[in-house]
Amino acid sequence: MTAVIETSGLTKRYRRVTALSDCTISVPGGRISALVGPNGAGKTTLLRLLTGLAAPTAGEAAVLGGTPRQDPAYLAEIGFLAQEIPLYRRLTAQDHIGIGAHLNPRWDGESVRARLGGLKIPLDRRVGTLSGGQRAQVALALTLAKRPRLLLLDEPLAALDPLARRNFLAGLAEAAAGGGLTIVLSSHLMADLERVCDHLILLAESRVQLCGDIETLLGEHRILVGPRKDTTAIARTHAIVQEDTAARQTTLLVRLNGPVIDPAWAVEEPSLEDIVLGYMSQGEAGYGAGPGAARLSAVGGDR
Amino acid sequence: MTWVTWRQYRYQGALAAALFAVLAVILLLTGLHAASAWHSCMKDNSCGVSSLASPLVAAIVVATSAVPLLPGLFWGAPMAAQELETGTNQFAWTQSVTRRRWLAVKAGWLLLGAAAVAGAVSATVTWWSGPTSALTADAFQINRFDVTDIVPVGYAVFAMALGICAGLVLRRTLPALAVTLAGFVALRALISLWLRLRYLTPVTMYYKLTAPFTPVGSYLTVSQGVVGANGKPPAPNTGPVGIDGAPLPAACQHLMGPTKGNFQAALACMTAHGYRGYLTYQPASRFWVFQGIETGIFVALAAAVLGVAFWMLKRRDA
Repeated sequence: MTAVIETSGLTKRYRRVTALSDCTISVPGGRISALVGPNGAGKTTLLRLLTGLAAPTAGEAAVLGGTPRQDPAYLAEIGFLAQEIPLYRRLTAQDHIGIGAHLNPRWDGESVRARLGGLKIPLDRRVGTLSGGQRAQVALALTLAKRPRLLLLDEPLAALDPLARRNFLAGLAEAAAGGGLTIVLSSHLMADLERVCDHLILLAESRVQLCGDIETLLGEHRILVGPRKDTTAIARTHAIVQEDTAARQTTLLVRLNGPVIDPAWAVEEPSLEDIVLGYMSQGEAGYGAGPGAARLSAVGGDR
Repeated sequence: MTWVTWRQYRYQGALAAALFAVLAVILLLTGLHAASAWHSCMKDNSCGVSSLASPLVAAIVVATSAVPLLPGLFWGAPMAAQELETGTNQFAWTQSVTRRRWLAVKAGWLLLGAAAVAGAVSATVTWWSGPTSALTADAFQINRFDVTDIVPVGYAVFAMALGICAGLVLRRTLPALAVTLAGFVALRALISLWLRLRYLTPVTMYYKLTAPFTPVGSYLTVSQGVVGANGKPPAPNTGPVGIDGAPLPAACQHLMGPTKGNFQAALACMTAHGYRGYLTYQPASRFWVFQGIETGIFVALAAAVLGVAFWMLKRRDA
């Protein structure tokens, strides 16, 4: 399937701050892509550029074959859920369904009613009186009801409890399985993402560190554990993403470029979180744990 | 978008209608009373302003000069500012409707609403003021001109446009409210007190000081004073002051003093020395032209301000 999102050199500067720098990514259609990175890495900026809510300072984006723009036909294809879960607090969920019905060509209000009914969220109460998690569910249901071809979700899981998260992600996977829907969701919850995502975009310090198919990325990376010794031989063939040297042993996260021949190294398969943390701590000594540490420190800690 | 606008503003609309109803009832009752009082007092020529309207109701009528500001302040300024403040613009602007259309429809209905509110109040006030205006010929006075006929509609349209634009530019409700209030009051003051006098070249009439001239009907005084024989205001001297601040010519000074004064004799003396009174004014016949010009100015400014709003919306990130 052709790329649904294709950006080249996408850059966004606000006065002095560069929020996103030279971002070149490609997301194939039908994927569920995890957009990860530390706070302030540019995730929200990237999503806002893709929706057309913000305009890039430089570079360009092609989304569903066109530039993000103010055009009803384009907007109809995009579902966006902002991080702060914006809804009109004084209006009810029912009112929001009405708004959606009046502003969108293909609108499935029934799906919102069914979804919220299943979650026992009242339709006739002002959304301002609902709990944060309920509001998030209302907003998600509304975003899905638009029947977009590209769903951009900015931290949709943050306000949900673990069970609601699981249900929501299952719902997403189901929606994506129906075909024709591509999803990009940003989150810090690696364990949750790993369950449903098959594509990864990793941003750090407003730059793209990784972008690709998760299976491929997992296959390309290895953790090497060996005696403390010179790593230049490894570096000659492979790209060392992260190096962690303890008293007697060295742990490396490498991007493979062929097999590891030296028997001194024990080769292990990294988890997605190992890879993400490895890239996130690049150039930032002491930022994260060493390779493999994620597995030691209980999988998928919140934030 | 129309449905959405209605959904978001129906309570405000109902509140405005209720407040208008209260005002209308007050003005209707007192207005009917004034009308009957007018008919009876005209028979014996005993009409007085106080017999037509109580000072309280008259004060309420003067206070309606604030009405055109209110929709702009309470509906216009928060319209975009509140969305930007709470982030709901990200919801509104990612439905299948362009931002431009969102603004056009919302602003359109709010402008219409503001015009309707101001127009309804103005119509009621205009009707209520009928007897008093006929009695006192005050149609051009600030407290009357500014609250009757069509100018309040122009004010309201401008205040709404200003509120919407300020909200979009400042992105926060309170500063937008402040700017709308300050901008509206400043512009209204400037126009009412200064520019309005100059819409058309005023008429100047010279008259004998002993036979003061009063134009027919409700006129707007631009300036009034005394000129000497040379047609210019007399040069100030240290002598006693005659009328309208003009110094008395030396020959007449003995007629007025700190303790005694023969005003009529002084006027006659001044007239004999070539002094004349003048009145520069806008005649009553220009009332509707002035109403039209002033409304036009405010509507044109509203259009300009809305242009800025559309430009900002297009240029700036959401």
